[in-house]
Amino acid sequence: MSTAVDTRRPSAVTARDLARATATRQRRGARFKLWAGGACTALVVLPVALAGLLPLPGANAQDLSRRRLPPLSEGHLFGTDQLGRDLLSRVLHGGQVSLTVGVLAVLVSGLIGIAAGSAAGFFGGWVDALVSRFLEAQLALPLLMMLLLVVALFGPSVTVITCVIAVAQWPEVARLTRSLVLVEREKPYVAAARVLGLRSWSVLVRHVIPNVVRPASLVVLLLLAQAVLLESALSFLGAGPQRPFATWGRIISDGQDYITTSWWLVTLPGLVIVVLVVGVNLLGDGLRDRTRTGSRARLRKGA
Amino acid sequence: MPTYLARRIGQSLLTVFLTLTTVFLLVRLAPGDPASAYAAPSATSADLARIREQFGLDEPLFVQYGYFVRDLFTGDLGTSYSFHSPALDVVLDRMPYTITLAVSAIAVTTLVAVPLGVWMARRADTRRELGTNVLTIAGQSMPDFWTGVMLLTVFAVLVPVLPASGFTSWSGLVLPTVTVAVLQLALISRLVRREMSTALASSYVTVARSRGVSESALTWRYALANSSVPLVTALGTRFAALLNGVVVVEVVFGWPGVGSLVVRALETRDYPLIQATVLVTATLAILVQLLVDLAYPLLDPRVRLGKAA
Amino acid sequence: MAEDTPLLDVADLQVELITGQGVVRAVDGVTFTVRRGETVTLIGESGSGKSTTAMGVLRLLPEGLAVLSGSVRIAGRDVVADPDAARAVRGRTVSLIPQDPMTALSPVHTIGRQLGDALRLRHPELTRTEARDKGVELLGRVRISEPETRWKAYPHQFSGGMLQRILIATALAAEPELLVADEPTSALDATVQASVLDLLMELQEHTGIGMLMITHDLGVARLVSDRIHVMKDGRFVESGSAEEIVERPAEPYTRELLAAVPRLGAWDEDEDEDSYGDGDGRIGPLVQGATS
Repeated sequence: MSTAVDTRRPSAVTARDLARATATRQRRGARFKLWAGGACTALVVLPVALAGLLPLPGANAQDLSRRRLPPLSEGHLFGTDQLGRDLLSRVLHGGQVSLTVGVLAVLVSGLIGIAAGSAAGFFGGWVDALVSRFLEAQLALPLLMMLLLVVALFGPSVTVITCVIAVAQWPEVARLTRSLVLVEREKPYVAAARVLGLRSWSVLVRHVIPNVVRPASLVVLLLLAQAVLLESALSFLGAGPQRPFATWGRIISDGQDYITTSWWLVTLPGLVIVVLVVGVNLLGDGLRDRTRTGSRARLRKGA
Repeated sequence: MPTYLARRIGQSLLTVFLTLTTVFLLVRLAPGDPASAYAAPSATSADLARIREQFGLDEPLFVQYGYFVRDLFTGDLGTSYSFHSPALDVVLDRMPYTITLAVSAIAVTTLVAVPLGVWMARRADTRRELGTNVLTIAGQSMPDFWTGVMLLTVFAVLVPVLPASGFTSWSGLVLPTVTVAVLQLALISRLVRREMSTALASSYVTVARSRGVSESALTWRYALANSSVPLVTALGTRFAALLNGVVVVEVVFGWPGVGSLVVRALETRDYPLIQATVLVTATLAILVQLLVDLAYPLLDPRVRLGKAA
Repeated sequence: MAEDTPLLDVADLQVELITGQGVVRAVDGVTFTVRRGETVTLIGESGSGKSTTAMGVLRLLPEGLAVLSGSVRIAGRDVVADPDAARAVRGRTVSLIPQDPMTALSPVHTIGRQLGDALRLRHPELTRTEARDKGVELLGRVRISEPETRWKAYPHQFSGGMLQRILIATALAAEPELLVADEPTSALDATVQASVLDLLMELQEHTGIGMLMITHDLGVARLVSDRIHVMKDGRFVESGSAEEIVERPAEPYTRELLAAVPRLGAWDEDEDEDSYGDGDGRIGPLVQGATS
């Protein structure tokens, strides 16, 4: 195929054609998602991370003279709750706990998932059989109910909830990693490494896993969104971390009784969750679109 | 085919046992005295001793497991002390409500998400793509308890069109269904769009187009038929997941299903009831998933009739 | 349409593809015609633009990817200028025989259903039964044995060679005047290729249809063509009658192409190894369950 423009023959491609082309649209779509996703995520994560530095009243500081003030009241951007606590401060400090739980859970499930999935994919045999059985079994378990049971038995501490969410999420990472490794295993560099005398373990850890980590981490991003939603559902039901700060779900459930008089107590924390999860999902989607369009363009069929 | 059947059923049985064992172990591994887990909060030490004897809690673990399994086979899942009746009965009483909610949510999802997904896949223009992306991502991102509370407030309190809670009439099903359906809609319409896009880009569609088949026939007959297998299996899997996953929505709307049952049982520390709920719902979900997996060969002629040489 | 109007009249066709890497000119101004009863072959290596030309002629390239310019007249109607004209001629005046038979039919519909639909597209007045009868007859014509039983079978139950013949039958259902064959034998075994090509040529003799053949295989080109256009980088490097190109290639590229064909030793082609009588050249049973 000729890529040089033939000066004798003008191109018939108009600007409109370019604008409407699939390739352009995909690239624009991916770019929009990355920007929008990044913006939304930052909009939530940054204030939460900097909560301690912002000039806000304490999250647990009650002021019974200033109860249930609406948003944009003086000194209270999000208003106050039924005990006079500043809602924004509660949301941001609670968010620190929520995000910590989410990030930790995702890291742990990511590590376990990648380790188990790549071992299963690479070594096959009984390792694969064992891991796969565990995967299937766990994917079939009633997630939320088991989580509630565990929390009820072991207490609603940050550690327990992080572990429980991590255990809930590792199968998905493992399953993806396993299929990625199965593909990598057939590639020539693996055989070459073996021929050069590298032991299986070395090949797996030093060569295969680094190639697999990037696509696997896309899933991890989407799992972060899921982890945040799980944690907030747990805390809504009263099974979330209580100390040091109540997390988002709990704030929402506390505000339920006042929904008709003080709508902001439920709406605003919920919006914060939505914006964060939307942002993370968009980021994940955008990254996945970007890698997909990249590889598809390289696979152009010969005419 | 028969080997696939046998293997798949065996897998499900294994999973059921794994669930049972996990629940069994969890209660016994938790900090605190397992006997107090099975006793009412007001139990005396004599009560605890009796419970210890009844459950054989002083005996080795595998003996306890033996009792546990034996009791399961006789349908004895313990007695709920908050309800003062066999735990199994309490669960089975409320199971139909959860099933109803799950069925109606899946029905609504199918009716809306399939046309929506097809519409999203058909023509690609920037506005349509943007709109659909926003909708589906928003749908995936709203926590179901929040959506539920908001819908409840708007439609049952502010504009009292629908009942706020419980199951006084069929209209009480509307809000919980919509709440559950929001997430499922987002997921399924994305799936339909993905499958349809793949199908519409495939070789057989191009060849059919070369035969003069109209665009609408290509969409609704060729592409959709080829997407139906993954679609049906996805719907089945979602249904199985919903049986366990509507806990939060049931709590928000006071829906008398097993989800709200489990939460209440947790609050009252009624472990026999919790155990029974988890076991029954898990088994049901595993069963549904098994049926979905078994249906797959029936739907796809390539699997049903075996591959040629 | 006058007798001497070509079935396919391509003038200065240019196909540009908008990819993530920029605009690629896959076809850079080609001009050729195909008349009744003649077979015109476009031959070239992969990436030369020949398949893109064929798909472009039928306007089957994805809209978000390809920009066509120039003119392509099928039975007198310019399909580049008027996309509706393309829709009108597809399945009526012109038919496609695709490259990979294994993916060219919907896997979840029976071949009978797909063939029957093609027949009823061409003749909407046919009933299901009438279409089935005609379809069975067509399957017989393309030498599919036991067509009544095979009618209810699914594509995955056939071999590549049989599928290609079913696809030819489906293409013929449109009663076309022009066939566009996009590397119809490239995905088939060597033993099967000859029988499919034989079939095509026989059909052409009987019906007088014109054929645009796309191939990279010189043997195929030599066998079926009246005229050959050698294609490279989206342009014709050399054009001429089949004998001219094969016997007296003028351009160095054409000569390279010819020289690239491996020379085989003597081969006994008299034995017909088709002991199952299904016209496929295979020796063993093809279809599990659809027993003869």
